[in-house]
Amino acid sequence: MTSARNRQLENGGIRVPQALERVLGNEALLERLLGKFLDDPQYPALCAALEHGDLDRAVTAAHTLKGMCGNLSMEELYALFTQQTDALRGGDLAGARGLMAQIKPAYERVTAAIREQPDEEA
Amino acid sequence: MSNQKRDVLLIVDDDTVNRGILEQIFQADYTIAEAEDGPSGLRRILEAPDQLCAVLLDVVMPGMDGLEVLRRLYREQLPDRLPIFLITAEASDSVLREAYSLGVMDVISKPVVPYVVHRRVKSVIELFQARRRLSRTVESQRERLLRQAEEIIDLNQGMVEALAAAIEFRSEESGDHVRRIHDITKCLLSETELGRGLDRRAVEEIALASILHDVGKIAVPDAILNKPGRLTAEEFEIMKSHTVQGAALLNRIPQLRRHRACRYAVDIARHHHERWDGRGYPDGLKGDEISLWAQVVSLADVYDALSCKRVYKDAFPREQVLEMIRDGACGVFNPELLRCFFMVEEKLSRIYQKEEFS
Repeated sequence: MTSARNRQLENGGIRVPQALERVLGNEALLERLLGKFLDDPQYPALCAALEHGDLDRAVTAAHTLKGMCGNLSMEELYALFTQQTDALRGGDLAGARGLMAQIKPAYERVTAAIREQPDEEA
Repeated sequence: MSNQKRDVLLIVDDDTVNRGILEQIFQADYTIAEAEDGPSGLRRILEAPDQLCAVLLDVVMPGMDGLEVLRRLYREQLPDRLPIFLITAEASDSVLREAYSLGVMDVISKPVVPYVVHRRVKSVIELFQARRRLSRTVESQRERLLRQAEEIIDLNQGMVEALAAAIEFRSEESGDHVRRIHDITKCLLSETELGRGLDRRAVEEIALASILHDVGKIAVPDAILNKPGRLTAEEFEIMKSHTVQGAALLNRIPQLRRHRACRYAVDIARHHHERWDGRGYPDGLKGDEISLWAQVVSLADVYDALSCKRVYKDAFPREQVLEMIRDGACGVFNPELLRCFFMVEEKLSRIYQKEEFS
């Protein structure tokens, strides 16, 4: 992985060394898993569930996102989804909705970083 | 089943990222199978559990969650032979408690730490493999021991028969007499009421013991044993001594004394010439004083002697044999014994028909 790509992902909120360690240093696999994160239906499902007040579906989605972010070492998102999962488990729909104010920008930052084409090495 | 290759690791998780990471960790060691929800994971496990070496099971999944999958597996008693690992991002106390009570091997938390997961899962898989190998070894050793025990029993019976046959040869008879006594005794005890209260094993032991009823004849000189004419009173006394001699001989062999059949053999050897009316020898026992097995062998011996040619007589026709036994021409028998004997005699008579043709 180029240092530029590394920096991109770090700026997006991914602790790259930790994430790489989890895939036993397999960079291609990490890129593939990051790609899967982009395509994963859980985030839109979470947004919809919160909007419709579907607590069960929201818990499952938030929980799955928490697990994915943890595995991919997206530290900030991991912490936020953990908080949100706990709130939803406690039935606190309003609190969970409120967290979206922080979750949404963090999610967009990390997905943008993943989508970005690797810069030419300077 | 025991030789089947068993190296498929099944990952059941709705989280593609986690499946990808777990696959990467284990693909060098096992064949990886994946299921992305509870129902398909459960189906995959139930259709061929013996192909799997372990299951990594996520707890929170939409639809059927991991605990529900686990409950179904528990009902099939699968966690006993298939290690199941719960992989979960957070586990409440009640989830952990239920999971362990349902037989989960270990709970691994997400996000996973590769070398920890790898080590924990692999150790347990190896443990299960070693356990299966060991139980296969124990099973095959048990089979070998059983086979050896059977061979020893066969050899024992063969030696008993050989000994009895050797003695019979001195009377210029074939070894078939003892084998017929064995079969007649066994038939009377297993197919009539006479055997009431004796289990199958006891009947086998008595039949084996019956083979040795005349073993004391080894102490009787050839001149008396093979004399075609009538024995003098003195010669007859010597002939009669084969009962006491036989019992004494059997009692003198320590290896035999430990055998369960021995007490029957000693009793039969000594008392197979006693009579129901008390006029037999050597002890003049009367009625029920004579053991059932000695009575049975006594009748079998008379029946066989009458039905075959002996050095001192020709074979009698069947009708005459039955008449002689019924009329007490060859000894007085327990009426109950005779009743049972006549019930199966038709079958017993076939032993002799067969020999005529062979």
